[in-house]
Amino acid sequence: MADENDVRAATAPYQAEFPYERDEEAQVTRREFCNFLGLTSAALFAGAAGFATKAALDARASESLPAAHIEGAETLAPNSSLNFHYPGERDSAILVRTADGAYHAYGQKCTHLSCPVYYSRDHRRLECPCHEGAFDAGTGNVLYGPPPRALDTIEVEVREGQVWATGRTAARPGNGG
Amino acid sequence: MEAELTKPHPKAGQTAVWQARLIMLVMINIAQLWILAATVDAALARHYSVLLPLVVASGVCLLITLSIIKWWRPTSRQKTSTGYVRGHDR
Repeated sequence: MADENDVRAATAPYQAEFPYERDEEAQVTRREFCNFLGLTSAALFAGAAGFATKAALDARASESLPAAHIEGAETLAPNSSLNFHYPGERDSAILVRTADGAYHAYGQKCTHLSCPVYYSRDHRRLECPCHEGAFDAGTGNVLYGPPPRALDTIEVEVREGQVWATGRTAARPGNGG
Repeated sequence: MEAELTKPHPKAGQTAVWQARLIMLVMINIAQLWILAATVDAALARHYSVLLPLVVASGVCLLITLSIIKWWRPTSRQKTSTGYVRGHDR
């Protein structure tokens, strides 16, 4: 082994009386474990602070978003859905055309733990498969399950036969929850 | 010779202190893990009012952790905190 040169000499009396194996020497000492726990604590604090900061910045972000055409929405059959991205390429959204022909669009992230919701044709509602939450397809409000608030709503307009997304509104806590 | 045998070992009790430190650090880490989960939950739910208290609580846990690591070390049985050597005059 290349690191055999780094093996400490057994100088202390107890090391001579109770020699330990090479593998045991590689075990973590209490001091190292303490330091590791300290680093873990710092990482957990950084995670909490970072998540809170991002949430606060998102809350202050401007809501003036450009309108975007939703490709393929015109041919969407009633009681079906279509996935698209709005306002950015990373912001997944879902367009639902209810049985009465009306368009409704929502952010696809479940408000519980951000799993993607999907439209259930059989139940005519948006469902989250992760923790069995469900949202009303017409309003985005919570029907049941752990989500604490309604889905983010995307404003939809029909302009000359084309469906456009024109804005996005985040529901407040308790709104439909 | 007999006096040396009855003399307490210099490191006696330090193991218990080390174990106590480790247990406290693990407990604080678990609490911080819970705080992080609560922070994520609150951020996703847009409960902004509880975010700051959660971050502050996590920061307090970090300070306690650092204080345990840096300052709450096992004290020597030979020396007091002021440097007095116990039993030196014997």
